[in-house]
Amino acid sequence: MVIERILIFLLALVGFSAIVGAKNIIKKVFGLNILNAAVVLLYILEGSRIGEQAPILGEGVTTIVDPVPQALMLTAIVIGVCVTALALALAVRLYKATGSLEIDTISERLRSEH
Amino acid sequence: MNITHTILFSPVFLPLIAAAGILFIKSFCPTSIRRIAEYLGILIGMVLPLLLVLTLYPIVQNQGYIETTIGGYAKSIGIVYRFDGMSLLLILLAAAITLPSWIFSRKEGPGHSYFTALLLIQNSSIAAIGMTSDLFNLFVCLELMGVTAYVLIATGKKANAAYASFSYLMISSSAMVFFLLGTFGLYKITGSLSYEAIESGLETLSGRDQYVALFSLLLIIIPVLLRVAVMPLSLWLVDAHSKAPHAVSALLSGVLLKVPLFALLRVFALSPLASSLALPISYAGAATALIAVLLALSQSDAKQLLAYHSISQIGYIVSAWGLALHAGISTTTGSLLLAASFFHAFSHAQFKALLFLTIGKATDAANNRNVYTLRGANQALRNMGERVPLTMLCFLVGALSISALPPFNGFYSKTLVTYTLKGSLHYTFLSVASAGTVASFIKLSRIFLPSKHPMVFPLVKERKRFPVSSHLAFILLALSCLAVGLFSEQTILFITGLISPEEAQTYDSSFFFTQDNLIKTSITALAGLVLFGIAVSKPGKHVLHFLEKRRGGFTDLFLGFATALGALALFAW
Repeated sequence: MVIERILIFLLALVGFSAIVGAKNIIKKVFGLNILNAAVVLLYILEGSRIGEQAPILGEGVTTIVDPVPQALMLTAIVIGVCVTALALALAVRLYKATGSLEIDTISERLRSEH
Repeated sequence: MNITHTILFSPVFLPLIAAAGILFIKSFCPTSIRRIAEYLGILIGMVLPLLLVLTLYPIVQNQGYIETTIGGYAKSIGIVYRFDGMSLLLILLAAAITLPSWIFSRKEGPGHSYFTALLLIQNSSIAAIGMTSDLFNLFVCLELMGVTAYVLIATGKKANAAYASFSYLMISSSAMVFFLLGTFGLYKITGSLSYEAIESGLETLSGRDQYVALFSLLLIIIPVLLRVAVMPLSLWLVDAHSKAPHAVSALLSGVLLKVPLFALLRVFALSPLASSLALPISYAGAATALIAVLLALSQSDAKQLLAYHSISQIGYIVSAWGLALHAGISTTTGSLLLAASFFHAFSHAQFKALLFLTIGKATDAANNRNVYTLRGANQALRNMGERVPLTMLCFLVGALSISALPPFNGFYSKTLVTYTLKGSLHYTFLSVASAGTVASFIKLSRIFLPSKHPMVFPLVKERKRFPVSSHLAFILLALSCLAVGLFSEQTILFITGLISPEEAQTYDSSFFFTQDNLIKTSITALAGLVLFGIAVSKPGKHVLHFLEKRRGGFTDLFLGFATALGALALFAW
């Protein structure tokens, strides 16, 4: 229980450090994805602790797992995919305009162009 | 489900249907039909829901709110929508700015079908944000509004716009992950997502759970404030607003900054724990107003100057808003402060949209955005085929409004904000900031001065025609600035009546033209002139140049986020 939480926290840290620390913008987008995945895992993990049987109502099923967190995460994953697609499209446009994927080089070249 | 509930869903679903229709027709039909589809889409998706929603006004006034669930499910399972006065005000605000911006975008770009569809989707998400009373639904709608904003910013022609959009996307989406974490915290301790159930769940908390609740609320509030751009969360704003196309800048400054702020009201109402956070936020707002106006004064790029002004004016709105929450929304002081805050948000939306559109047009015509070198913008506009200098006149209306001179709306809203804040530390901050506003608009207005050197324009063979749609957008916004100013009493009564009907009866407007206020207005104008004099002197220029170079990079966005989170957490502790 504790170990799982620590692992999820570490995963979130990996994602966050990639967003802030990585120079490559594609890696930044990956970082955002990892951060998202960590929160999704947290919801699923903690949600599964409430009740123990699959949430399909039938005979003899009494203590079902709380289905709400899982349902929420479906939506959150979809939003994450949309944002990732948009971010990658922007990255392609930045690469075409500046010929680089490094954030510092991009901002430098854009400034001199301005 | 009765007719009232159907009407209630119209501002959310009609724009979505219209947007889908526009995109469908764009893919399969010839150009002439596409244009008709766009006009029809705006009519069905924006004008029609607005008229429908206005019919609910008497019900809201009598009952306070209307509540319904999507799809008619039981309240415990379905998504609950709650339509109250604030929802109506937010829908009105969105429509009042989106329509002129859309009209402007027809000829000045980016006026294609995608753009119209995006505007409609955005309006739908704004209406949903205003009505939802479910935390996860709020997350979804905020993300939807965010995605449309990223795409709209990226429609700018230069690669700079893509960079601004990318930075905004990264910081805002990472912040929304924290929002999700906060939602989880509240769900875990209360077992519910709807505001009502969370509120009753939080009342019975004790011990460690109370800290969890407070921290979760913190994680929800900070990402939303990031969208509102209170310092130190405002670093993304300047690039995003100045690099976007003009119509989009008007929309971003006018609408997208304010909607999340007023949606937060409901989150703050969840627990008395949250109200304790309102006071530091209002101080942050007052400081924002002052610092941002100094930065605005130091800018050389015309649109960046306007972007910093948006941050500064948001500071006014946030400080009144925070104090309203601190006093309690249902009290007399609180509801007047909240009404003042919304009134200023509304008039800021009008005049800032007007300023962005006119300045955008003028700088495009002269092909120069530097306020130090650009002179004779009017000649440039005439060269583009403008016969009557309407652009300049409308710009002046906007500049006088933002400088808070009567009889324009800015005077009334700013006076109401400062009047309600009288006696607090905020008052001093905001009064100094007003002088800065005057000074920076004197600086900006100089672009319309006649040029010393005769301007050389490339010879154009055929006579250009100035687009009528641009003039129409300018005039619409300028007239609404004037109308809100002239009918200020009715407007304030309308807003107060929607926020708290009892207070509207006790409202008294006699303080606008008192001797004190008129003296204060003239002192502010004079101080602005003096400040402008200092700014153009040699040492002043030196300082401003130093300030202009202080620009944050990508990592600083996250530093600002961490600072805000840490500071507020420390205060809550």
